Amino acid sequence: MRHGVPPAWVALWFALLAGTAAAGDGEYLFHAAGCAGCHTRDGGPALAGGRRFDTAFGAFYSPNITPDRETGIGEWTAQRFIHAVKHGTRDDGSAYFPVFPYPSYRLLSDDDASAIFDYLMTLPAHRQANREHDLPWWLARWMIAPWQWWIMEAPPEPPRDTEQQRGWYLVDALGHCGECHTPRKFAGVSDRSRYLGGNADGPEGDKVPNITPDRKAGIGKWSADDLAYFLETGALPDGDYTGSTMAEVVDNTTSKLTRDDRAAIVRYLRAVPPLPGD
Amino acid sequence: MKPTALVTLTALAFLTGAAVADDEDYIKYRQAMMKAIAGHMGASTQIVRGKVAPEGDLLMHARALAELNAHLPRLFPAGSDFGETKAKPAIWDEPAKFEQATTAARDATAAFLGAVEGGDAAAIAAAHKDVGQACKGCHEDFRQKDD
Repeated sequence: MRHGVPPAWVALWFALLAGTAAAGDGEYLFHAAGCAGCHTRDGGPALAGGRRFDTAFGAFYSPNITPDRETGIGEWTAQRFIHAVKHGTRDDGSAYFPVFPYPSYRLLSDDDASAIFDYLMTLPAHRQANREHDLPWWLARWMIAPWQWWIMEAPPEPPRDTEQQRGWYLVDALGHCGECHTPRKFAGVSDRSRYLGGNADGPEGDKVPNITPDRKAGIGKWSADDLAYFLETGALPDGDYTGSTMAEVVDNTTSKLTRDDRAAIVRYLRAVPPLPGD
Repeated sequence: MKPTALVTLTALAFLTGAAVADDEDYIKYRQAMMKAIAGHMGASTQIVRGKVAPEGDLLMHARALAELNAHLPRLFPAGSDFGETKAKPAIWDEPAKFEQATTAARDATAAFLGAVEGGDAAAIAAAHKDVGQACKGCHEDFRQKDD
């Protein structure tokens, strides 16, 4: 080469660039965190919110997270975003309702949350005012702060096995899979003893399957390749295709991950404690 | 009660009963057809992904998929929306949107058949992926999840 840069160095440089892009790229993290599904109503402008969630605790409407200055988050700072996403705290110090999955997102690194914010700021702004939630008479926002204190005190630890840490981060922090696949106990708190063991009372009235490696009740009979192909395409091992909210997750998130990250998820899921029943 | 009235009533009861049974039978038929589609799709996936290579089988599966999917809109007659079905009411409430979804499945399977007849491996893989997208796309909006 005329300028004397050995090709091996160039290759290494690009490899390093690709490595950091996979770790810190806001767009990639945005997909991995699955923001789009909940923050877009059917047929509505992307990320402008307004999707309705009927729950045992009332009907909630997702907010606008486009950079619109009045109705979206255009005036926010990265710090405010981190407070919202990781701590469930609003600008005025009050709490977000936990329909916003901050019990999962609190496991995100500040850098990753900040990268997602930076990416959101590059997207088109849509003007769409947020809708008030329809809460039952017995529920008020002030009750959420003590609730947070109660359930947010002990975040789950990452696995010790370094081989499992990326999969754990994708499943528990970014993908927030347990928000639907783990059942809830009293007051809507995730039942850690039934981690990923399926949820008879999932979002939109759906029954959400057990995704632990139990051979009968879970996905223990699926091969690693079956699982990776499912995350890529939505195809079930019997030729059927997933639907409902999981089809959205495949479209918005798992099909957009790298092959390595899908493999990390599969490796992690196949190693969680198997649970019978659904 | 006059005998004629009795006969009419019995006939009516019989007819209504028959109509109900009809719809439930239709749900069973629909589910069997869907399983047939899944069977051919699952088999195609094994071949397209290079796991198995049974001579000539892919063309059979592609033909079956194209034919079965052309029948899709007829599998959801009005009245077959109750009982043991995962079909969402949206099928009958939003007929235009549902027609779009079934048309996508018909077109994708027809294109898959075309690709298999053409023989180009990359085109076959791409068309197969599109069929999967159509399946998933329709299930996303129109099938209740309970498994």
